[in-house]
Amino acid sequence: MVKRLTPWLLAAPATLLVLAFLILPVGSTLATTFLEPKGWIAPYVTFFNSGVRRTVLYRTIEISVITTVLSVIIGFIAAYVVAHVPGRLKSIMIIAAVFPLLTGVVVRSFAWLILLGKNGILNSALLGLGLISQPLSMLYTEGAVIAAMVYLFVPLMILTLAGVLEGIPKDVLEAATSLGATPFGVFRQVILPLAMPGLIVGAVLVFTGSFTSYATPQLLGGEKQMMMGTLLYQRAMVTFDWVGASTVAAIMVVVTFVIVFLMTRLARRLNPMVA
Amino acid sequence: MTTKLHPLLIVFAAVIFAILVAPLFIILGAAVSDTSFLTFPPQGFTMRWFTNIFDITAFRTTAITSLQVAVTGTFLALLIGIPAAYAMNRFRIRLPSWLSNVFVLPILVPEIVLGFSLVKSITIGLELPVFATLLIGHTLLVLPYAVRVVGASLASFDFSIEEAAISLGCPPLKTFFTVVLPNIGAGVVAAFILAFITSINDVSTSLFLTGPGVSTLPIQIIAHMEQFFDPTIASVSVLLMILTVGVMAIVEATLGLTFLTK
Amino acid sequence: MTVSLTLDNVSAHYGSTQVLKDLSLSVKAGELVSLLGSSGCGKTTTLRLVAGFLEPSAGSIRLGDRDLTRLPAHQRDIGLVFQNYALFPHLSVRDNVAFGLKQRGVGKAERDAKANAMLERVGLSAFAERMPAALSGGQKQRVALARALVIEPPLLMFDEPLSNLDAKLRVDMRVEIRRLQRANGTTSLYVTHDQEEAFSISDRVAIMNAGRIMQLDTPEVLYQRPANSFVARFVGFENLIEMTVTERNGEMVTATTKAGASLTLSQTVYGAIPDRFILAARPDGLAVRQSGEGIPVTLGIRTYLGRAYQYQCTTSTGDLTGNGPLSELLEPGAQAVLVPVPEQCCILPPEA
Repeated sequence: MVKRLTPWLLAAPATLLVLAFLILPVGSTLATTFLEPKGWIAPYVTFFNSGVRRTVLYRTIEISVITTVLSVIIGFIAAYVVAHVPGRLKSIMIIAAVFPLLTGVVVRSFAWLILLGKNGILNSALLGLGLISQPLSMLYTEGAVIAAMVYLFVPLMILTLAGVLEGIPKDVLEAATSLGATPFGVFRQVILPLAMPGLIVGAVLVFTGSFTSYATPQLLGGEKQMMMGTLLYQRAMVTFDWVGASTVAAIMVVVTFVIVFLMTRLARRLNPMVA
Repeated sequence: MTTKLHPLLIVFAAVIFAILVAPLFIILGAAVSDTSFLTFPPQGFTMRWFTNIFDITAFRTTAITSLQVAVTGTFLALLIGIPAAYAMNRFRIRLPSWLSNVFVLPILVPEIVLGFSLVKSITIGLELPVFATLLIGHTLLVLPYAVRVVGASLASFDFSIEEAAISLGCPPLKTFFTVVLPNIGAGVVAAFILAFITSINDVSTSLFLTGPGVSTLPIQIIAHMEQFFDPTIASVSVLLMILTVGVMAIVEATLGLTFLTK
Repeated sequence: MTVSLTLDNVSAHYGSTQVLKDLSLSVKAGELVSLLGSSGCGKTTTLRLVAGFLEPSAGSIRLGDRDLTRLPAHQRDIGLVFQNYALFPHLSVRDNVAFGLKQRGVGKAERDAKANAMLERVGLSAFAERMPAALSGGQKQRVALARALVIEPPLLMFDEPLSNLDAKLRVDMRVEIRRLQRANGTTSLYVTHDQEEAFSISDRVAIMNAGRIMQLDTPEVLYQRPANSFVARFVGFENLIEMTVTERNGEMVTATTKAGASLTLSQTVYGAIPDRFILAARPDGLAVRQSGEGIPVTLGIRTYLGRAYQYQCTTSTGDLTGNGPLSELLEPGAQAVLVPVPEQCCILPPEA
């Protein structure tokens, strides 16, 4: 009898922690939005009727999409190089990617504050070169948020994709070459399709990460470039609009779950190992 | 590999990697600048911004809180996560398949939503102390590392070794500590490091879980930055980067940095 | 269409280590030559040089009248069969086979037709739509074979193609490979570490060691008349006995071992015998007798082989293995002599 329960007893503490402190509280947040006396759809009507909040949602989607596309492209090219350079250079490149990855989001966003500020290095350089006569205000723009966000996610992308690219067996590439495929042909017909599931998984990580981010848009975008994360904080802690905040939270959860669900299905369909 | 790379690719990659590292050096420069505002290249040289950190009580107390939460949360997550990972690998057929999905939830649910829901239900709803909720939030945040990273080691562990030990007269619990644990050591170390670094750097979950008198270092840095824009922040960042270097040295010594590409 | 492959004084280096030393090799048109040797002998390096995945540091490689030495790998037009099959995991069996044709600009309809015909020949028509992950090892190797053959290459190369298959399948597949290679008359280079496989499949076999070809001959010659002690050991001549000629009497030669045992050998049987030589014998080439002219030994462990008893024997200069008749059971510890069986032994030059 005890033996039959052993697996459950071992898994119970962790399972109960997730149930009590994640599933129930988050479930209650989602429930809040549907249990409004004014009708279960009311909080969402309020959300979409507010021009400001609609703009925030669209801006968040736009910034997340651009960040994802840029991170995937830059990360893929860098990862391709990492996978193909000799050992010593590869180690240096991996260190250069791991260091920012393990450094916190606050420190990394702060670096871009110094870079893009009125007295920042970029303005000083441009002024010094005589390209501009007045310092540009680059902070609190969409570009600033995107730049810092891409900077945030590229290391993750590089490390994920370098693993994927190194996992492609060398003899498969040689087989393609021996059958007459040019280097570009090998890339397009073999490497790219085999890396596609990894690319999709990486893109999902970047998109959901951007969509739900707080620190970077808060520091580099401020009030002007409010995104969903900063909107959630503002609704909850500044205006104490708990239903409004819960609605923002619910939209974030739904978007994340839908994207993850659809994309992992797509990645699985493109997975060459499935017959 | 013998594959030749196009020179343009190499140049592109070199620029990317330079851009990845450069901003962190800029912080280092800004931290020693003898000016009361943030600037780069540094003007003059001073260490006063580093000593200034220690004059600001808030940095000291939040740093301690951050370390307490990261270490305790990581230990708690390993304490309950390793048995769960063990059960799911050892007794795969006797546990339902959805169970592993439960441990994906802390990754799937946006961190900021988790923090918001916890403050709403636990801090306010159950009137738990702020520190307790913060610890619960961080334990949840890092639990997936404990379950999944250790689980990956267990997936390649040959459980017949465990049966061999038991057949030789070793009791089950002792078998776990003397036979199983040493063989999944690398996974436990990896889980610990990833969990610790995630916890210590976290902003989104902690955001709602800090309150009067209890805050974490990253939250304190953001708060400070919104009021003062002086090189103190740069010097705090430098200390955090030194922590990163320390973690990287531990990773390299124990697992090798390439484990992060897997 | 059938052409010869010629390697002329080819050297190769990995970093500062030389892995091939002035290797010359000629594979005649339509012939199948195997490179046989243990790992690290340079056989795979040779294949990769011909395929264009490595560049030689010296020497030239020619296929018919084409100089391959500096040609990019994708322009060499060689059918390659890999040890791990190297199928494209994201392409169906048919698309795998058609891949090479696609690179050659063959239209979709034609390449599908050709791929289907080739799949028919390897008996996999029913699997054309499958993905490689859904195939067994033997089926994967057939697809790999079909993929290499369908481009009708002037040269086929095999890199340990059967080493991942089980014993029964290995035998079936090597017959299959031989059949297809014969039918097309394609010049072939075959790399393996398995002696039985190399001998059964090849017109000629090159036995390699430390970046050199030790002997290139037909399997029959290699098996019966190895040219040196390395090849002799490789093909199972366990007993290598150093000898010095003490007396010549017409065609008869008397020679002694280091321990002083003396044997009389006929040059009619063995050919010309130099003053110093090695007498090489498999266990069935040394007959165990209770007495008579031969090499005196002390008998050790006896094992039963069905057709004979085999004895581990000790002498003052080393251990030897010989076979004795079933009619005569000798006990361990007994004194006996080993007598060379003329047709089963051969004379080798002394080791340098």
